[in-house]
Amino acid sequence: MNQNNNSDERNPSHFEEGGGLAAQEMPEHSDLNWEEYREAIRGMRFFDPHIHMTSRTTDDYQAMFDAGIVALIEPAFWLGQPRTGLSSFKDYYSSLVNWERFRSSQFGIKHYCTIGLNSREANNEPLAEQVMEILPLFLYKEGVVGVGEIGFDDQTAAEEKYYRAQLELAKQAKLPVQVHTPHRDKKNGTERSMAIALEHGLDPAWVIIDHNNEETVESVLDQGFYAGFTIYPFTKMGNERMVKVVERYGPERIMVNSAADWGISDPLALPKTAALMKMRGIPDDVIKKVTYQNAIEAFGQSGQIDESVFANGLAIDQSQKMNGNTILRGGQQPRIAKDSLLIK
Amino acid sequence: MVLTEDINRLFADLLRAQLTEAEWRWLEEKSTASPLELMTAFVAVPRFIGRQTVALSTEQAIELAETATGLSLENWTTVRLSRVFLLTSLSVSDEATYIRHIETLFDTAEMNELVALYSALPMLAFPGKWLFRATEAVRSNVGDVFDALVMHNPYPAKHFHEAAWNQLVLKTIFNDKPIHKIVGLAERNNADLARMLSDFAHERWAAGRAVAPEVWRLTPGFMNDRLLDDMKHLFASKNSDDQKAAALACFHSNYGPALALLDNHENLKNQVGHGQLTWADLEFNDLNTYESK
Repeated sequence: MNQNNNSDERNPSHFEEGGGLAAQEMPEHSDLNWEEYREAIRGMRFFDPHIHMTSRTTDDYQAMFDAGIVALIEPAFWLGQPRTGLSSFKDYYSSLVNWERFRSSQFGIKHYCTIGLNSREANNEPLAEQVMEILPLFLYKEGVVGVGEIGFDDQTAAEEKYYRAQLELAKQAKLPVQVHTPHRDKKNGTERSMAIALEHGLDPAWVIIDHNNEETVESVLDQGFYAGFTIYPFTKMGNERMVKVVERYGPERIMVNSAADWGISDPLALPKTAALMKMRGIPDDVIKKVTYQNAIEAFGQSGQIDESVFANGLAIDQSQKMNGNTILRGGQQPRIAKDSLLIK
Repeated sequence: MVLTEDINRLFADLLRAQLTEAEWRWLEEKSTASPLELMTAFVAVPRFIGRQTVALSTEQAIELAETATGLSLENWTTVRLSRVFLLTSLSVSDEATYIRHIETLFDTAEMNELVALYSALPMLAFPGKWLFRATEAVRSNVGDVFDALVMHNPYPAKHFHEAAWNQLVLKTIFNDKPIHKIVGLAERNNADLARMLSDFAHERWAAGRAVAPEVWRLTPGFMNDRLLDDMKHLFASKNSDDQKAAALACFHSNYGPALALLDNHENLKNQVGHGQLTWADLEFNDLNTYESK
């Protein structure tokens, strides 16, 4: 989830923490054209453990499929403005396990999700109470691979209350937790998130601390948590920086995601980062771990991920085929000839 | 309508035979639990029961046919059957409570749960209460959800009023799905549907697209001058299946001009007359009529 998408500054989340030491000397992010990097990632498969597809177009789905993304996790988050009633939450959670899952399947990408009350809307306590009551209805559903994304935003008392309550839900449901870390006072917020998870008795190997940077990663890994890195232009990590992180810390318990949403973000962040790693000489098995395997291992602890379903490409079930005003046509992904004036 | 207790007993037999002992023990216990626990179990079935295709012995298939006409368990999984079994185990003692529970499951369902819910409609109590839900499945763009209500499901033929029925059949055609899997197609046929089909075909033809030949089986009972023009169009088609459809439709009509038209196509007329060509020969499952010709 992005919070600074209106910012004109480059990469403020990094500089805000005063940690931009090396950033001046090296490029943070390289924008790659498909033609430049397609060869570098030929044959690779990617699993994006954090992307908000409800905000993305069919063009994105097609480009993701073409670039080798075979499966993804869509965490429940806020929609850019606060919801005003319980039904909006219910319909949103329902769409994650229903329509969006179907839509994704029609583009050959396996769709999983995590379900949770996001930190911003935890501040509306009367509504948050109602949301907590319906969460169990969704947490036990097939393909729900965790509680998420939850954690801190402003680090208020209400945010802490519902973060703790949802950690308990995760324990009961035997689900991993996907933790959003704040942009402001990030280091402190990240440490607090981890301390509270440990206090509630969660195994750190079941908790994915997301949106890390050079300043937070060491403590997250040292304490046994998974560390997610979001390649998000301007506000989070650039892919050049990501390469340096992997060179320094290795691939264990590190996973890359795009967190692409309604802001200026890049659903191809994974394949681009993998290409850059390849160009920088990082071995294939390391690239595979941080862009595919580690996420499957972490969220697979839910028992809800069957890698064989998507490992060799998701089979499009012909019985699901629908024509007319819907997405799929003739068992194929519909392709529009973009440079053709004629629409058939 | 199917008797809930009978089908519940039959499904219990099927599941007991196919599930592991631990799986069946879990399911049986949940089927007698409180409504809320049963509903949670409905959601959690895939976490406790392995997904495999339901296998029926010949005797079981016969018993199923006798208990629930039109119902088919073809391609059902043990997960789907277990869910429907739980639904048929829900207490019906209080109508309002029962309906509220089922509505809650619908409101929060993911795709596979919706499939189970729609599959269960013919077996639920208070069948008239699910009419709106059933029409919502016809509006669905999720293939499996649509199919769960429309294909091999006796509910719509028994309960839909004519306008809703016609939408169901037309949407099946529009979605490029085979109409021969609809239960009660012949019994619910009507003149208005035949007219709408003709209009629909004209739109398709104008767009340079085709219509699945099987759909013309809806027309013989309502043949008229307007449909006769469609028959001429079909006989003139380069697709031999279109010609076969026209021959079958004309042959089975009692409309003089249609029979006269068929006389011009002696070979086809003989094939139909000798039972060598039937609608079953045009029952294709993979249609692709949206491909431009």
